Amino acid sequence: MNSKFSRRNVLKVAGGGVAMAALGMPSILRAQGSFPDRPINIVVPFDTGGYNDRLARAFAPFLQEALGQPLTIINRGGAGALLGHTFFLQQPDDGYTILCTSAAPYIPLNMLTQNAEFTLEDFYMVNLPSQDYTLLATSADSDIQSIDDVITRLKEDPTSLSVGLQPASADLVNFSILCEANDIDFEATRMVTYDGGGPARNATAGGVVDIGLVGGEGFLPLAEQIRPLLTFDSRQRDNWEGAIVTDVLGAETDFVVGSQRGWGLHGSMQESNPEAFQILVQAIETASKNPAAIEALTTQQLATDWYGPEESNQMLARTAAVMEQYIDLLQGQ
Amino acid sequence: MIELNAVSGAFALLSSDINAWLYLLPGLVIGLVFGAMPGISITMAMAFALPATLYMDFLPAIIFLTAIYTGAGFGGSVPAVLMGIPGTSSAVATTFDGYPMARKGEHNQALGVALASSVFGCLVSYLLLFFLIAPVSSVVLKLGPLEMFAVAVWGMLLLGSLAGRHMSRGLLAGVFGVLLGTIGMNTAGFIRGTMGVPWLLDGIPQIPAMMGLLAASQLIGLINTTYLIEDEGSRKISFSKILSGLKTAFVYPTIILRGSVIGVVIGAIPGVGSSISNLLSYSETKRNAPDGDTFGQGNPKGVIAAESANSSSEGGAMATMLALGIPGGGATAILLAAFAMHNIVGGPSFIANNKDIVYALIFSNFAQAILLLFVGLGFVYVASYVVRVPLRFLIPSVLVVSTFGAYAIEGSASGPITLWIFSVLGWAMVRYGYPVAAAVVGLLLGSLLEGNLLRTNQISGGDFISYGLERPWALLIFALMIGSIIMQALSKRKKLKQAAENSESRSASEAS
Amino acid sequence: MSTKPGRRVVWGHLLLLTVIVGVVIAYLLDARGVSTRVNNLLLVQPAAILALILAALVLPGLFPQRGSAEEDELPKETPADLMRIFALIGALAFLAFSLETIGFDIATFIFMVVALAICGERRWWVNLLFSALFTVFLIYGYGTITPFPFPLTIL
Repeated sequence: MNSKFSRRNVLKVAGGGVAMAALGMPSILRAQGSFPDRPINIVVPFDTGGYNDRLARAFAPFLQEALGQPLTIINRGGAGALLGHTFFLQQPDDGYTILCTSAAPYIPLNMLTQNAEFTLEDFYMVNLPSQDYTLLATSADSDIQSIDDVITRLKEDPTSLSVGLQPASADLVNFSILCEANDIDFEATRMVTYDGGGPARNATAGGVVDIGLVGGEGFLPLAEQIRPLLTFDSRQRDNWEGAIVTDVLGAETDFVVGSQRGWGLHGSMQESNPEAFQILVQAIETASKNPAAIEALTTQQLATDWYGPEESNQMLARTAAVMEQYIDLLQGQ
Repeated sequence: MIELNAVSGAFALLSSDINAWLYLLPGLVIGLVFGAMPGISITMAMAFALPATLYMDFLPAIIFLTAIYTGAGFGGSVPAVLMGIPGTSSAVATTFDGYPMARKGEHNQALGVALASSVFGCLVSYLLLFFLIAPVSSVVLKLGPLEMFAVAVWGMLLLGSLAGRHMSRGLLAGVFGVLLGTIGMNTAGFIRGTMGVPWLLDGIPQIPAMMGLLAASQLIGLINTTYLIEDEGSRKISFSKILSGLKTAFVYPTIILRGSVIGVVIGAIPGVGSSISNLLSYSETKRNAPDGDTFGQGNPKGVIAAESANSSSEGGAMATMLALGIPGGGATAILLAAFAMHNIVGGPSFIANNKDIVYALIFSNFAQAILLLFVGLGFVYVASYVVRVPLRFLIPSVLVVSTFGAYAIEGSASGPITLWIFSVLGWAMVRYGYPVAAAVVGLLLGSLLEGNLLRTNQISGGDFISYGLERPWALLIFALMIGSIIMQALSKRKKLKQAAENSESRSASEAS
Repeated sequence: MSTKPGRRVVWGHLLLLTVIVGVVIAYLLDARGVSTRVNNLLLVQPAAILALILAALVLPGLFPQRGSAEEDELPKETPADLMRIFALIGALAFLAFSLETIGFDIATFIFMVVALAICGERRWWVNLLFSALFTVFLIYGYGTITPFPFPLTIL
């Protein structure tokens, strides 16, 4: 019995090895000189273990297959992705360095609040499969039952509820929109600032703060400990109960979508290296539509939907435009 | 609380695939080697093993990854003892007494003590996890900023005992460290003290700064010495002395237990974890030890306290991860990713529905801890040959390794530059009687202190007292802290009195 | 010359304390320049003031009595020893600042050769051999496990 298991495992390990080798193979078969003829770097402007890192690592084997060259993942975390974005743009725009990032809100935030020396046009988003959204929630055992409760209480006394969120975030902008629409004194509210989405969610779930506004996807593991009250999107997301912002504030309301994560290239590549540019866009499309990739990423709760460059860049531009309207808020103070 | 059905299910799971256990040894060895390299974090080691687990079944994958976790947890202690380099923030307190022991020629014992405390701490933590997973998880999320602030203040009490002979210099070093620790963007989004340098937005890179203050500064000062251990006879590598170190650890079960409880509890708090627990345990042990004055000069109890706490933090972090499905730090984030690859999602329902997997995890970690004892012995034996390398080779080599580690952890020259600045600062501080360890503690706790003080202020609308009265846990922590200080003061007075009486009776007998 | 034992000045300590106080004051001014809101200064301002008070308490230690116990505590390296320490600090600075520009391989090798010489290795062939081997070993050792490549020039 043991030997049976061991043989199976040996086969599995061997199979893995062969698969890995096979991924590297096409590079030898390909003609020299055509793009790409050497390994390609993926810059992830966050540390290992975060969403973008996991996305890059999970997607890399399939992109590798589509490109026929091995991919190397380079983590350049820090300063709200500013360091990684700057590093990416410093690399030559020859297509041998591509980007996997939370384009929104970080690229606009870098520009608006950190005096980054780049503009939106320096980036070209091939696909932004992951579209997060702000979720306003409370702890499961809170006495707040609905978004109406929240609005009523805050209208009566803006200090009646403590609000957990991150400074300079889409969530902060959304909260200010909610306040403005309901004549709540935003400045007077009791905002409690957290350094990351995780801590803000934990505080919400544990009832440390009365309500929290944080990216909704990250709430999924905590679903049983929270009560979702309001989704900042025009449709229901991830089966959350509670209201939808366009129903509460009207279809015309402004709101900022949360993180838009995915794949980017140098904006200048379109002119400087059109051929490589086309090959990369196509390879990302092929890999995104690869059923094996979709399966592998879905099991890891990672997004693979294909929106394409046109829509992705528009979405990013739209987000950046709304964020710019709230520049004072994002800069704080 | 223990369900026998689930326990037998766990055994069935663990014995279903005997080959899964083959991954235990390589996992531990990879963890040990990676962990012993300064600047290579547990998270990095696990992130690199993650793709390999794609092709494994669930059980071997998890055994492999948790073995790396356990191995790397101890691996960091080896350079901490032998060279005073805290490769991770969880090994800071290990350097306080481990390194002085090594310098005295007690490197064998120090490593043995560290290994035994780690193994024991790991075992205890998983034992506690076995019983405490449910209660711990229900408390963790309820911890608010005031509780966290209390924990940070508790850590700051260590400054008092690190101060050394010049109290004002010690406190100045600590407060200076705290200030440096708050540089960058604070939790409310204000950006201070960055001088326009983008990488300072996240604050001063902690690990390079620590390596500079604690290790590189020492090495620079050692330049006129020929060997790490000056006495040639003490430079021996002795297996029996390592074993005697192992035994030493078990002479102090209360220290190990206290360390383990602190480790599990603090380790369970997301985002705090082992980097603080080793400091707290060290500080408590020193305060309660009759020979507290000799801490920092190579007292094995200090090593026991630090190592039992940092290795038991693993159990605490696992409790939070399993119970809530949220990662407390990078390592558990990787584990969750591995879970997800096998279609297993952590969280309350996970524990309810998969008790057998939870227990299997706990049991396999028992096995890891025990195997670590043997693998660790071999590893420690080989590693301790470092003391026989002449310093003229060791100093440049270790400085380069630290520089590489600083680069690896930061990803840019910011790491090495920080290392350099802080090694010069550390060298000057040591030279003029400032305790660098106090600065390190301040640096580690600065942002924790500020962030949570700020949030307490925000959440309470400035009314600290009435908010504090609503937070029984915070009050409990403060009460424990004050109690511990009073106890210390009382025992110190008793000791002084005794000493006075002794000397009186001695002088009386001498006179007669 | 007076027979009364005077006080001496520990210049190195004075320099260190000046640096610490300078950094604290500069940081406080910078923080106040950003914003004077509570959310910015709650910890930084009191801590900075406390640091300045502590620095004032340390001040007398800079001027120990001649012949006192405190003076005996002062480090007593020979000027040659100090020179070697400064040389090593300089070499480490070279390493930290040049790694990315001239490549890890060249910078590490140069540092190893220089530092070994400073630390007292007199046999040039041992120095070169050890430096070369250690450089190669480190670059491949760390290179395989860090999540990004090291900038290299030759290797």
